[in-house]
Amino acid sequence: MTVVGDDDTASTASPGDSLFDRLRRGDAAAVARALSAIETGGPQADVVRGRLQSLDGAARVVGFSGPPGVGKSTLVNAYIDELRSQARSVAVLAVDPSSPVTGGAVLGDRTRMGNHTSDPGVFIRSVASRGHLGGLALSIPSMLDVLDAAGFDDIVLEAVGAGQSEVEISHFADTTVILSAPGLGDDVQAIKAGILEVADVLVVNKADLPGADETRRHLEAMLELRDTVTSPPVLPVVALHGNGIGAMTQAIDQNHAAQDASCGPQRRASEALRQAAIAELTRRIAADPELDRLGAAIHRGDINLADAVGALINRAASPDERNQP
Amino acid sequence: MTAVESTQLALPGFDAAKQRWEDAYTRQLPADSDVKRNRSGIEIKPLYGPDDWDGTTYLDTLGFPGEAPYTRGIYPTMYRGRTWTQRQLIGLGTPEDYNERIRFLIDNGSTAISLLPCNSGFRGLDCDEVPFPLLGTCGTVVNSVDHMDQALAGVDLASISTAMNDPTPFTLLAYVLGVAKRRGVPFDKVTGTSNQSDYISHYVANHMFYRLSQPGSRRLLVDHVEYCREVVPNWNPVSVVGQHMQQAGATPAETMGFTLSTAIQYAEDCMARGMDPDEILPRFTFFFDVSISLFEEVAKFRAGRRIWARIARERLGAKDPRSWRFKFHGQTSGVDLTAQQPLNNIARVAVQAVGGILSGLQSMHTDAYDEAITCPTEETARIAVATQNILREEAHLCDVIDPLGGSYYVEALTDQMEEEILAVMATVDAAGGMYEAVGSGLVQRMIGQSALAAQNRIDRGEEKIVGVNCFQTDDDGVPPPPMRPDADAMRKHVHDFIVFKEARSQADVDRALGQLRRAAQGDTNVFEQVVEAALVGVTHGEIVAALRDELGFGDPLVVA
Amino acid sequence: MSTPLRVLVTKIGFDGHDRGSRLVAAFLRDAGHEVVYTPPWQEISAVVTLALQEDVDVIGVSSLATDHLIVPDLMEALCDAGLDHVEVIVGGIVPDNEIPLLTDAGVARVFGPGSSREDIVDGVEELGRSAQQRKLSRGGFEA
Repeated sequence: MTVVGDDDTASTASPGDSLFDRLRRGDAAAVARALSAIETGGPQADVVRGRLQSLDGAARVVGFSGPPGVGKSTLVNAYIDELRSQARSVAVLAVDPSSPVTGGAVLGDRTRMGNHTSDPGVFIRSVASRGHLGGLALSIPSMLDVLDAAGFDDIVLEAVGAGQSEVEISHFADTTVILSAPGLGDDVQAIKAGILEVADVLVVNKADLPGADETRRHLEAMLELRDTVTSPPVLPVVALHGNGIGAMTQAIDQNHAAQDASCGPQRRASEALRQAAIAELTRRIAADPELDRLGAAIHRGDINLADAVGALINRAASPDERNQP
Repeated sequence: MTAVESTQLALPGFDAAKQRWEDAYTRQLPADSDVKRNRSGIEIKPLYGPDDWDGTTYLDTLGFPGEAPYTRGIYPTMYRGRTWTQRQLIGLGTPEDYNERIRFLIDNGSTAISLLPCNSGFRGLDCDEVPFPLLGTCGTVVNSVDHMDQALAGVDLASISTAMNDPTPFTLLAYVLGVAKRRGVPFDKVTGTSNQSDYISHYVANHMFYRLSQPGSRRLLVDHVEYCREVVPNWNPVSVVGQHMQQAGATPAETMGFTLSTAIQYAEDCMARGMDPDEILPRFTFFFDVSISLFEEVAKFRAGRRIWARIARERLGAKDPRSWRFKFHGQTSGVDLTAQQPLNNIARVAVQAVGGILSGLQSMHTDAYDEAITCPTEETARIAVATQNILREEAHLCDVIDPLGGSYYVEALTDQMEEEILAVMATVDAAGGMYEAVGSGLVQRMIGQSALAAQNRIDRGEEKIVGVNCFQTDDDGVPPPPMRPDADAMRKHVHDFIVFKEARSQADVDRALGQLRRAAQGDTNVFEQVVEAALVGVTHGEIVAALRDELGFGDPLVVA
Repeated sequence: MSTPLRVLVTKIGFDGHDRGSRLVAAFLRDAGHEVVYTPPWQEISAVVTLALQEDVDVIGVSSLATDHLIVPDLMEALCDAGLDHVEVIVGGIVPDNEIPLLTDAGVARVFGPGSSREDIVDGVEELGRSAQQRKLSRGGFEA
């Protein structure tokens, strides 16, 4: 049986040894079961979430995102190798979209992350987005908590950077690495959708190809439009040959140094709350008939915008009062 | 081609007669009759006539056999002069088992031989480093010059052509040359073909033969062509394989398009090394599946010949007509064979073989009827060879050259297939050529979609397969017992191999492997060092391992 | 919509013909399941690790060129890893007289040539649900 971490006693479950105890020791089977429970939802998910409560975190969570074809899996593979050379244990969540029609998915990303199956210090899990269960914003933070509780030094979160849900996922990482590469057509188009805003480190992969400099200049020009004081570094990398991985790892380390890993679970809970609250508020406002009435009132000049916003949010916050005129 | 306007026809009364037939046809046709399409998606009409093909472009598009554009055949005499080569693909058990089988087949009419190595060899491994139960179940275990010597015992290398299923780095040819040297046969007398030299097809469609990274394979193929041109001039170093893509699900038109695009890639790679097209193209050969979609296959090959002649001359700049000839080996398609009611496959193979002969192929393998289940037994292999003998000797298929030429249907279909093929090639060109197009997964995705579409047609019953989705029987008859190598003989073979490795000069092996690695690191000919290593006893697994170390293994793209 | 099954579709041994495994992966995806798909030539130990980490319900092994002969080794390795609740199916070319070699080793079903999309999807769903039940019956996380 494959065991994560250095604890090779975990494979032999002693009598009275609970599944959660095994999870805490990094037993791969128990970790895998807990991840499935979270994904599926239901009573087992509630039990696992309950057991995770009040545990301090220790893992560093790095998110990798970028458009299809940019070489994310290859870069993640190189990053895993780098972490393993420092004897750090790694867990990877590789997120692929489910089919919006059937809900099914073919999860092939991990096969491009090299062959780590014989290394007990690497745990990789493919995650389908399962849109019908309310989105990844609910399951991903708890899955990260599971891996954190299992004692992994580092957790890598990999997602296709093509849509809003991936932007949401990136908020759960302590450090977000956004990838681009030359030759993907319109680079700028591929990387907008707000995702640049969340980048802590920007990587230009396939930097040995023609056009890499242009891609870098594009990114730097876009960064100048951000209204933040500091800009993330833009680093050239050739993931296939491992070039530039050292510098990327250093940039990730520097970003982590400013954060307290023990607060990871709490930060993830806050972020999940923020996203869930926004989603609920959005849903209520969209369903409120008062929206159109207030819009018409603004148009007529009967009310100013700020007052209308206040009124709408008050109604959303106290939905019971809606029926009372 | 655009249909001929009937008003141009010098056939008074044609339009009225056609109208009468159309009316009768429409009236009498069952209401639930479907539109027919061939596997390449071309709509097939119920009748073709002079308004579809009138022969006015005869000299440009057809011409005569042995003359460009070779649509009707690449030689003036075709089967009147010499019938196709019967080359049965054989591989099983130990080299002694193989030798026994090929001598049997030569006695039964085979005129050339082909060697399929064990799957462990395709993976680049020697017999002493793999799970024993898998050894020799699908091919012959050949890991050294000694093994090749046993396999080819009693075979005159100066007179019998040998096709080796030998992906990069071409160790089997190196071992053949080792045997030739032992027997005093000059290298320029050795004839045959490096089948499976087409690394792109392995990356795309048949991962079984995939052995070295794409950049490494790309370089080794050019090294191999360069070496053979100088040292083994009667050997065909390049066999471009359409078979894998068609078996993986590409339509016949896609298959021909991808294959010709691949041939262009290889030719241009060699030319970039400074080789003259007329020095290399006469030794290019092609290898295809022949499916049971008979007319479509005939049209595929006739169109392919015509396109290649034009490409070789106009795009690649070849001036020697021998460079323009599209020489191909056809293998009856195993994909059409069924495990249900296996004896039915004898009929299928016969129809496929007729299609291949009517297409004007240069050499042919006919599948044994148990090919869908296992490696052929001696009896099933004999029937496969007999099928070719019957078609050649009894069916009068060899009397007339290109006997379907001039058929309204076949000529119109040949033109339409040509259009489809050219469209596929244009897609590949737009992606930067075949090497780039497979690197990005474009070709794999196209093949995957075609495979899924074909399966859906079968599942929906639109494509009928006897014994599978119609005319099923509860009892499919007793299947032939699978061929499995004799375990004791195989154990002895592995044991002898280990003894051989211990007895050879380790200093020679180390020196040869060092030279091989240095060649790979630098820019001298790597294949030359493969041959040198083979001659001093370096094994197949050792050669492939050293080159994987230097040139990389890579991973074939998975596009599900 | 019910919870998707998780299925590992893979190939062990030397053969690289993967048309069948790709089609089966697509069938299962289109039926709403999550397929972890691998290239050919997986080591048996790698298949065990994948099954464990991905917590799959069913493993589908595709075999065209005699690779089924080492499936009994896979079954033993799965058992040793505590994965005996996982159902294993083999698809492809398995001669009739060698099917007992697989079923005796614990393979649940062998899908031969001509198996329809429905046969395969229905078979996998039935086996997958029973694998999930078996796993649950062995206890889960306790509050």
